[in-house]
Amino acid sequence: MGKKDVEAALGRGVDILNEFLPLKSWLYFPVLYSACVWAVRRVFDYQERILAWQVWLDPEFVRTKPDEFVLHFFSGHESLSKAYADEIGRRDLRVLRAAFPALYPIFGLEDAFLTALFKAEIEAADYRAIVVEFASRTGKARDDIQPAAANPDFWKALQLIGMEAASLGLHLLKDEDVQNMIIALVKKPAAVSPDIPPDA
Amino acid sequence: MKRKLFSLAAIALVIILSVSCLPHLRKAKQFYAEGQGQARAFRTEAAIASWKRALDEAGRECRRKPSAQAFTIKGLAETNLGRWRDAEASFLKAFSLGFEAGEAWASDVALAGLASSFEELGLEAPALRIYAQLIDKSDFKPVLMTAAEKRTNLVLARAVGSEPEEKARTLAGLLKALDRLLDRDFACGLYHYLHAQVDGHAGDFRRSYEEAVMARELGLPSEKIVRDNDNQLVYCYDKLMETLPAAEGETFAAAHSGWTKKWGWRDARTPAWKKE
Repeated sequence: MGKKDVEAALGRGVDILNEFLPLKSWLYFPVLYSACVWAVRRVFDYQERILAWQVWLDPEFVRTKPDEFVLHFFSGHESLSKAYADEIGRRDLRVLRAAFPALYPIFGLEDAFLTALFKAEIEAADYRAIVVEFASRTGKARDDIQPAAANPDFWKALQLIGMEAASLGLHLLKDEDVQNMIIALVKKPAAVSPDIPPDA
Repeated sequence: MKRKLFSLAAIALVIILSVSCLPHLRKAKQFYAEGQGQARAFRTEAAIASWKRALDEAGRECRRKPSAQAFTIKGLAETNLGRWRDAEASFLKAFSLGFEAGEAWASDVALAGLASSFEELGLEAPALRIYAQLIDKSDFKPVLMTAAEKRTNLVLARAVGSEPEEKARTLAGLLKALDRLLDRDFACGLYHYLHAQVDGHAGDFRRSYEEAVMARELGLPSEKIVRDNDNQLVYCYDKLMETLPAAEGETFAAAHSGWTKKWGWRDARTPAWKKE
């Protein structure tokens, strides 16, 4: 059990995703990476939540933050504080507040799917591009994933991939290594699409 | 013999028909509940798939046997899929059909869903009125929690841009409402989380910190809220360390260190879920 086994399991995952999401290889990385993150956290063990007869809406986190919290978020993050140094210095809350809804879920709450979806921009430290593209790219991801998402076999397959990789020692690898491994595997097939949406 | 066979065939037919008819509403609820569970665990895509299936099943049930419950679940699935106009129509249809005795929970859920649709369609005032009414009248905890969160969010969004005096008044009113909820159910982690958020807006970092600690200890309904609450703890910790006199700051840092050790944080400012 080790890196090679995990790599093989994730490779099978890419093949399976190819069946469910043909020509949507830009989605493989975020889907597979988030599956891995949750497999390691063991939320795949979720019990069948059959709540018999009662269903309801769930509460969300409070999205409206005070100015000081927004400033604290930007200045407390090493890369964001550099990218937005001027705005932080001027306390330009118009710009910072506009960027906050896109950047807080990624850097503040560390949503695995969003982190993977904007990996290229995160690596290039192009945070303003994330802000510009956030709504359209997350919307496109949601639309493109719909046909496969309606198929319960897709989620079962993804769960199995995550569990297999986790059982083979996924948790022993660095997060960065897992990301790079998946990217390398996604780029392997002959018909490679770009890893960002074509018209993003 | 023929009669016996006919009776058996009739019974078999009834069983087959009831089995094929029964599942729509139940399946709709099941898929909807699965979607909620997936959303709580940050698995957005899986949640969307489940809600779509819930919507299909609820739609079938509404066509086959229209009922307030079926339209409520259809509306809930539409709400989560962002189909606000459809959701509004479904909830209104649910009310027009009327809820049976013992379905007060469903009526409250439909009301909360309707308010949520109004909110998304830009009708904040009626949404706020419904949330306020639910907070005062509903006995159904999940609805109370959602109404409290939604109302807090809406009121805070209004308060952010207002004049300082008006903002202080608004926040004081909000805190009073949350205190009343805590009087009713002090063990609800979400109410403490909401209190911490409003205290943060009011600049009361010590109270905000204490409420966020309580929220963490009592438990919160989703991973997303837990993480946001942790960020609030770090924010308050930094603010307090900046402003407290040295001796008081040291005592506070020691207490904070005790909590973070208990929660398995890597240091005073790094929760376990944060990347290295």
